[in-house]
Amino acid sequence: MIRLDANRPASFCDGSTRRDFLHAGALAPLGITLAGANRGRAEGTPDTDVNCIMLFLVGGPSQLDTWDMKPKAPAEVRGPFAPAKTNVPGIEIAETFPKMAKHADKFSLVRTVYHTATAVHDTGHQMMQTGRLFAGGIEYPHVGCALGYLKGGRGELPAHVLVPKPIGRTGGNLPHGHSAGYLGKPHDPFILNADPNAPGFKVPDLLPPEYLSALRAERRQKLRDAVDGATSAFEQSGAAKQLDDNFKLAYKLMSSTKARDAFALEKESDKTKDRYGRTRFGQSCLMARRLIEAGVRFVTVNMFETVFDEVTWDIHGSKPFTDIVQMSKEVVPNFDAAYTALLEDLHDRGLLKTTMVVAVGEFGRTPKVNPAGGRDHHPGAWTVVMGGGPLKGGTVVGETDELGYAPKTRPVTPGEVAATIFKGLGLDPHKELPGPQNRPIPLADFNVKPIGELF
Amino acid sequence: MPLRYLLPVCALAWGTPAIAADLRAYPAEITISGPNRAQQLVVVEEENGRAVRNLTSSAKFASSAESVAKVDASGAVTGLNDGESTITVTVGAKSVAVPVKVSAGAEWSFRNHVIPTLTRAGCNMGACHGALAGKGGMKLSLRGYDPESDWHVLTRQALGRRVDGAKPDASLLLTKAVRAIPHGGGERFDDTSPHYQVLLDWITKGASGPKDADAELTKIEAFPPAILVAPGAKNTFRVVVRATYSNGAVEDVTRLARFGSTEENVARVSEDGTVTPAGTGEAAITVGFGTKVTALTVTAPFPNAVNADAFAKSQRHNFVDEHTLKKLELLRLPPSEQCSDAEFVRRAYLDTCGILPKPDEVTKFVADVDPKKRAKLIDALLEHPAFVDYWALKWSDLLLVSSRKLPQPAMWAFYRKVRQSVADNQPWDRFARDVLTATGSTLTNGGGNFFVIHKDTAELAESTALAFLGTSIGCAKCHNHPLEKWTQDQYWAFANLFARVGLKNGDRAGEVFVQSKADGDALHPRTGKAVPPAPLDGKPLAADSAADRRAYFADWLTAPDNPLFARAAVNRVWRAYMGRGLVEAEDDLRDTNPASNRELLDALADDFVKHKFDLKHLMRTILNSAAYQRSSKPAKGNEADDRFGSRYLLRRLPGEVILDAYSDITGVPTPFDKLNSAAGDSTSPTNSFPRGTRAVQVPDSLVTSRFLDAFGRPERVQTCACERTADASVAQALHLNNGHTLNDKLRDKNSVVSKWIEEKLTDAQIVDRVFLSALSRKPTPVEAKKFLDILAEANKDPQARREALEDFVWAVLTGREFLFNR
Repeated sequence: MIRLDANRPASFCDGSTRRDFLHAGALAPLGITLAGANRGRAEGTPDTDVNCIMLFLVGGPSQLDTWDMKPKAPAEVRGPFAPAKTNVPGIEIAETFPKMAKHADKFSLVRTVYHTATAVHDTGHQMMQTGRLFAGGIEYPHVGCALGYLKGGRGELPAHVLVPKPIGRTGGNLPHGHSAGYLGKPHDPFILNADPNAPGFKVPDLLPPEYLSALRAERRQKLRDAVDGATSAFEQSGAAKQLDDNFKLAYKLMSSTKARDAFALEKESDKTKDRYGRTRFGQSCLMARRLIEAGVRFVTVNMFETVFDEVTWDIHGSKPFTDIVQMSKEVVPNFDAAYTALLEDLHDRGLLKTTMVVAVGEFGRTPKVNPAGGRDHHPGAWTVVMGGGPLKGGTVVGETDELGYAPKTRPVTPGEVAATIFKGLGLDPHKELPGPQNRPIPLADFNVKPIGELF
Repeated sequence: MPLRYLLPVCALAWGTPAIAADLRAYPAEITISGPNRAQQLVVVEEENGRAVRNLTSSAKFASSAESVAKVDASGAVTGLNDGESTITVTVGAKSVAVPVKVSAGAEWSFRNHVIPTLTRAGCNMGACHGALAGKGGMKLSLRGYDPESDWHVLTRQALGRRVDGAKPDASLLLTKAVRAIPHGGGERFDDTSPHYQVLLDWITKGASGPKDADAELTKIEAFPPAILVAPGAKNTFRVVVRATYSNGAVEDVTRLARFGSTEENVARVSEDGTVTPAGTGEAAITVGFGTKVTALTVTAPFPNAVNADAFAKSQRHNFVDEHTLKKLELLRLPPSEQCSDAEFVRRAYLDTCGILPKPDEVTKFVADVDPKKRAKLIDALLEHPAFVDYWALKWSDLLLVSSRKLPQPAMWAFYRKVRQSVADNQPWDRFARDVLTATGSTLTNGGGNFFVIHKDTAELAESTALAFLGTSIGCAKCHNHPLEKWTQDQYWAFANLFARVGLKNGDRAGEVFVQSKADGDALHPRTGKAVPPAPLDGKPLAADSAADRRAYFADWLTAPDNPLFARAAVNRVWRAYMGRGLVEAEDDLRDTNPASNRELLDALADDFVKHKFDLKHLMRTILNSAAYQRSSKPAKGNEADDRFGSRYLLRRLPGEVILDAYSDITGVPTPFDKLNSAAGDSTSPTNSFPRGTRAVQVPDSLVTSRFLDAFGRPERVQTCACERTADASVAQALHLNNGHTLNDKLRDKNSVVSKWIEEKLTDAQIVDRVFLSALSRKPTPVEAKKFLDILAEANKDPQARREALEDFVWAVLTGREFLFNR
């Protein structure tokens, strides 16, 4: 396994330099420890731990125009579209999702998710990604970061990757819950920070330039460690420690075949790319599939970066927002194609059994269509789409009232959605993590239970 | 033998506590004149104005006039008849007298009691009936900001079933709340609670609505005013809250108040106001009732045995040190020693000017024997040309200078205004006034671009409050601020100050004429009417006044007694030098987010005002303090301190400063030759920035730079200190490893590496030079040996040696010691 040719003099032509680089990576010469899964298994047969892809439908999809239609409601509530049958008898979704309708056996609909916090986007982002509303100065970890904290990455791959970018400004000026919160920055997700749909896309700075041989890269790390002034001050500093950890992870990533391969979207055929849709979200979903295949445990895909300046699920109707019709022309087909392509690929590769796919928004929309032809924020009830892994498909959990305004049966909180993801990932939802000042904080509060109907 | 003495003492301590310091009962005098006839007393042992032990449960209470006021064993005083009495509170051998005045109280008022009851029970919160669309057919205003409409909803809608005068206890308001009948919101309280009683009484007595003559809540107080937790102590404290109204009525509103903790790791607070210590440090317990808020401080010293000498002997250079050391002593945080000269010179250059000292400047400073050399260096740095670049960058962040919303000529005019003001050390009040009252062409009077960036009146008002008052008022735009004292009425009165700004396009590209208009109002969205324009907590201007509203605002803003203006500036400057604001975030000044050292903030603000808002004087004061000059190395016991000033806080250098240092050290400037589009989706070439322009000199946040993006430069979209981030990320490490920025500089044929080779310097000379220029110190013998060994391996052919030298410089320039100021 150990290749010594990496120590040959530096100047190589393109091919051999790069290859050597990879071998240097296999040497793991810098004492990089591989948290969690053991290396042999990570490189050979993959373990059967459950993974998760969280598709965040930034903006908050309207329950009434997607997966919880109310055809019998008055015209000003039911909206312009009709329900359509799916491949599961009894389950109907909006006619604007023709592809999804063919896969209803692979996902379930939780129609009675609601929250009781302020109806701004940011609170919903926090709760859906962490299971909790932030208070008392404590920021809770994203479910994927908690997973990464508990299980570590497989091989040199980060445990949790966020594509393409964290959620940006959405008006509430609160944290969105994409980070590791109190678990600390080392457990933050690896953020792609690039648009996989952009021409010539590559992960920024992932690979060393041609002139940097393996020998040089290794020497740089060694030299870097040799500057050791003011050690005692730096050892107390989380930020300084984080800097060094980042350099270690960066080195791991740049020297790993597996990692570079995972991000190599150019290896996908045009046909496949087309199937996912040539949009930022479509190609991000394709990237998510590649990452899961390579061994990443959790991928968060943000469908949009903000709710301003682009057509999103945030359909207030009036400028700068879009209305129901425009949403159904742009946003819905985008989701329909990418989501179903992802399900199909995971299924065909046998990965759907070990990979949950959950599509969540931060709230629903007001049942009554507003004068601008849109709907406003409404955290009283919305639908979450969950499937894959140990989760049942073809099921509907909960029923909302005749207007889709509030749960009529089986209300489900964001905390319960998070607990369901934890359970699906094979974690005890009430396992305690070390919180601030080592105060134990359970993954989900003790009175918060996973959605039993989905298992 | 010692046991014999100890035992009786312990027994005594547990039986009736021996009071070491003051015995205090709160409130110190009781007035019962509102409809709530009860007032809870809390009894504490106090040291220097801070409660150290809660003694309420072990105190004995007696009333001198039982017919006027009775008191029970828990310390609850109930007013019975008009008159006066004295409650004697006794703990062990000590006692304290609390005078009580009882007078007839009014009825429960809808505005002052019923709505707060509903708020406390959560009925009108955003997720329940306070939602925009209401809930279950009943819509209340969010947290009760609209009492008239709420009263109508409760008493007139739903066929009057919500409030049933004939059969009060059958009112839906009550039966739903106690869940005697199904209620989507569950049980809010039970029928034995005081909350139930208030609502029942109000209904029974006719359910009268809000009236114009209703007394207005004028203040709330929370007792005890401050809490000091003995190290390791776990006992709880009880907080009582008292409200005073405009008609003189005073009453206990503890059970209607909302409580929160700013640091749950230090102290937690329950719904009923019980404070439980949880860790070390300081927390504010925030208290809200109606539209008022207050906070009390819980101080939990660190478990260090420190002797008073350590503090008494610690250096004091000016008043900053008096206040800092007082705080450290209270918290038992030993101060670190003073930093070395080599550390100081690097630190002071970076914090003041954003540049590294040159090697000879370091050597000269370290060798200088003048005892005043630090003060002299500080004076010199404040007059250094780089000071202007660096602080113009900071204030350009604050005012959002960029070509995102401004055409190039306008952006440059705005930047020149900011830059000139730094160069002239323009007093901060004059600068604020210049910008906020700017008139005429935005190309000649660049400050006027502030109004071009913020065309929307509400946004202009909010940005101004954030930039110059460090205060966020945005939430109050739509409803009374749930966590702060600003009401929706105040917001629109404030916004109306900014409603008469006229903008007209000029002839030249990017030119706009700014003028004050004679008419125009920002309308309150609920009433559709204009509110007389008024500064925050300031005197309103008559609605029909012809006075220039901007000038009126600027007068109020920059008045010496404005409590926020000076503090906001002081806090920003303090954060820039000390690594953390006295108030954090730096632009989040509010009563419920108190400073980590309030006395120090007050003293700095007073001094700043006294010196006519002279920023350099303020900086000089901070830089000369022993607190600024402490080592970043922790002393035993202060490792956990991240805010009280026991040591210099390590901080990553800003991206612009790192990038400029890379250019300086490698001798290869950074090209700034492209601009991002405002949407961030394309770039275009620019020749605005000649070769050699420094990153700190670039006024435009849209200039293309992967490096600056990765290192957290602000986008300058939103007035918020949060835009600039100092976080570490893998993207940064990847960029430094694989990206163009640093690699290209090292490889450049004109780089410093080429020069060394040309000059035939030895490896040892090169190592020394790099250390001195990048880290302001020489390598230790151990370090030098490590580097020389690694470099020696590559000494065989010129290309290999060059690459090894590049790698060595790379390693120093990406190391933590380089990237951090310490």
